Amino acid sequence: MARIVVDPVTRIEGHLRIEAQLDGGTVSDAWSSGTMFRGIELILRGRDPREAWIWTQRICGVCTTVHALTSVRAVEDALGIEVPENARIIRNIIAASQYVQDHVIHFYHLHALDWVDVTLALKADPGKTSQLAESISSWPKSSRNYFKGIQDRVKALVDSKQLSLFSSGYWGHPAYHLPPEANLLAVAHYVEALEFQKDFIRIHAVLGGKNPHLQTYLVGGMSTAMDPNEPQATINPERITFLEELASKAQAFVDQVYIPDVLAVASFYRDWFGRGEGLGNFLAYGDYPQGGIKDASRFFLPRGVILNRDLSNVHPLDPKNVAEYVTHSWYEYSDGDNAAKHPFQGETKPKYTGPKPPYEYLQTDEKYSWLKAPRYEDMPMEVGPLSRMLVAYASGHQEVKDLVNGVLKKLNAPATALFSTLGRIAARAIEAQLMARYVSKWIGELGANLGHADLRVHNGEKWDPDTWPREAQGFGFHEAPRGALAHWVEIEDKKIKNYQAVVPTTWNAGPRDGKGQRGAYEASLLKTPIADPERPLEILRTIHSFDPCLACAVHVVDARGRRYLVQKAS
Amino acid sequence: MMLPPPSTVVLGLGNILHSDDGVGPRAVVRLKKHPGVPEGVALIEGGTLGLELLTYVWDASYLLVLDAVDVGQPPGTLIRMSGEELHKMPGSGSVHQLGFADLMAALRILAKRPPEVVLLGVQPASTEWGASLSPAVEAVLGRLVEQAVNELLRKSAATLSTVA
Repeated sequence: MARIVVDPVTRIEGHLRIEAQLDGGTVSDAWSSGTMFRGIELILRGRDPREAWIWTQRICGVCTTVHALTSVRAVEDALGIEVPENARIIRNIIAASQYVQDHVIHFYHLHALDWVDVTLALKADPGKTSQLAESISSWPKSSRNYFKGIQDRVKALVDSKQLSLFSSGYWGHPAYHLPPEANLLAVAHYVEALEFQKDFIRIHAVLGGKNPHLQTYLVGGMSTAMDPNEPQATINPERITFLEELASKAQAFVDQVYIPDVLAVASFYRDWFGRGEGLGNFLAYGDYPQGGIKDASRFFLPRGVILNRDLSNVHPLDPKNVAEYVTHSWYEYSDGDNAAKHPFQGETKPKYTGPKPPYEYLQTDEKYSWLKAPRYEDMPMEVGPLSRMLVAYASGHQEVKDLVNGVLKKLNAPATALFSTLGRIAARAIEAQLMARYVSKWIGELGANLGHADLRVHNGEKWDPDTWPREAQGFGFHEAPRGALAHWVEIEDKKIKNYQAVVPTTWNAGPRDGKGQRGAYEASLLKTPIADPERPLEILRTIHSFDPCLACAVHVVDARGRRYLVQKAS
Repeated sequence: MMLPPPSTVVLGLGNILHSDDGVGPRAVVRLKKHPGVPEGVALIEGGTLGLELLTYVWDASYLLVLDAVDVGQPPGTLIRMSGEELHKMPGSGSVHQLGFADLMAALRILAKRPPEVVLLGVQPASTEWGASLSPAVEAVLGRLVEQAVNELLRKSAATLSTVA
């Protein structure tokens, strides 16, 4: 039996290492290790809870808004604050547009090259590519000359030897199955998606004052000024029109490019409907409140837990039942490492016992990751778009059911095909389609409120710390693009006493727990056939299908792999 | 009359929660209050984003990047790089999602002319979790800011002379 190591897993944010045991050409066991350390809790202790969001949104360089939202919700929960309707709508628009943005970037820029061979795109016939494009979509950029132009530019980049964007692919790998024309089509849309995301994210620049780090969150609501008669106001009729234009462009791109591309790529890789399943347990906190945040029954995306792939039964979710193990994580708990702890009792005391780098293998029977192992009622869970879409589907959410059934029908696949690597990709695309529609709808609601002169965006009743109880605890949650995210805050004497974050990638990429149960990545790799152990493309396909993001799970320890690796001048 | 250089962007990269990694964004915060910065210069705290920064550099013809750079020198050493030296920056092979080199490649593939890029960097002492700079880097933050202003003024003057 051979063990293969993928370290680092590239085309992700942060540092992830996968060790997989091979037995007769398939994966017989796997270990996932985040080789980094998380310390936001240590930075927040003693600070004013009203400014926690400013710090937490810096945890991750990629999903900047999600920690801000989760943090203000945690503090609002602790202090018993309800936000005004406009604040709820603005938050929903920001979060939903983040889904569209992140899902498009994930599919085209972080994941597509696991399925698309750029070098084959150079061999495609642009005329045939044009025919293929026109057979699957009405998207207007589909002429022979258009694809020829893209091909020439990609060729120039490849010839310049500065492949950069395309440098880390396993080009020529036998597991690439797309015909040359489909490769060129996908590469063309890779390029278009770059331009799409550049324009679409201006939605955040408008509502957030500034992107990447939004400045308009506030405990109690938002600081986004609404005024129908003020040209300088963040939200006025002119801005609503601008937001509506951005949202309708996003809908067109998702409907006419992203969805057809996912269907086309999936049709060539049908094997992957049967690979990469993993746990079969799915958790979603739910999100997009349509009323008060306490009223989970009116969340647009429902809350719940699915166990053992049983879609006939959605179990209720209680955040009290979340706990984290450190049995196989480089931390110690003051009362022993074998029992799990709820985040309110959470501790972050690093204790590295791993091998001294450089090393060949991790000691996977002992501690082997900087990620903790979160569990729900002592069970490992997958989180993310697939979990959300499954919970919605199984809860009878009509729009989700229609979209999911539509995609399954086009692919001629049963619902069980969703429990797979391709299922994750399809669920993410479906979610982007759904949320692009709702970005438009909620912008419309905001515009209507502007028309009624309902301009309230902040509830300042408990802004003054003198109104707070001496001690308070709060739970803030958000279905971030990558999955269930939660912050637990403990406030004492107007200051943060303890702060814990359990992030989506910790659920998915975490190690084994005290009972030896595998995490989601580890379980998803079992039985995966590997054609070439030197180039384990199949492992990347499944791991990337989760959209790993280690930056918020942990932090880079090894300064060698930084953005700039510069040779010393001689 | 002093004209701003056309579409000049200053990008402070890095994470302020990782001690010296935050030197770029912190320098940008200081530049926002600095009277010497020519008018019309966009000052962006870029965080650690890669491709998401495309929107900010799209129309740039001159890009000044401020960042912590590990070149194996004593902490606090200031580094200036431009042109060919910057091509040695790795792309997707680095641990960051899609790096700065990818951003430039993305501009090329979108048929945009990449801007002239100058990087002002500081050798970090530590990039561990921490909300403040190390003493060695804190001590040179002021110099980094002044050097950035000088770069902007020099660029501005060069643009004027070309126009003339």
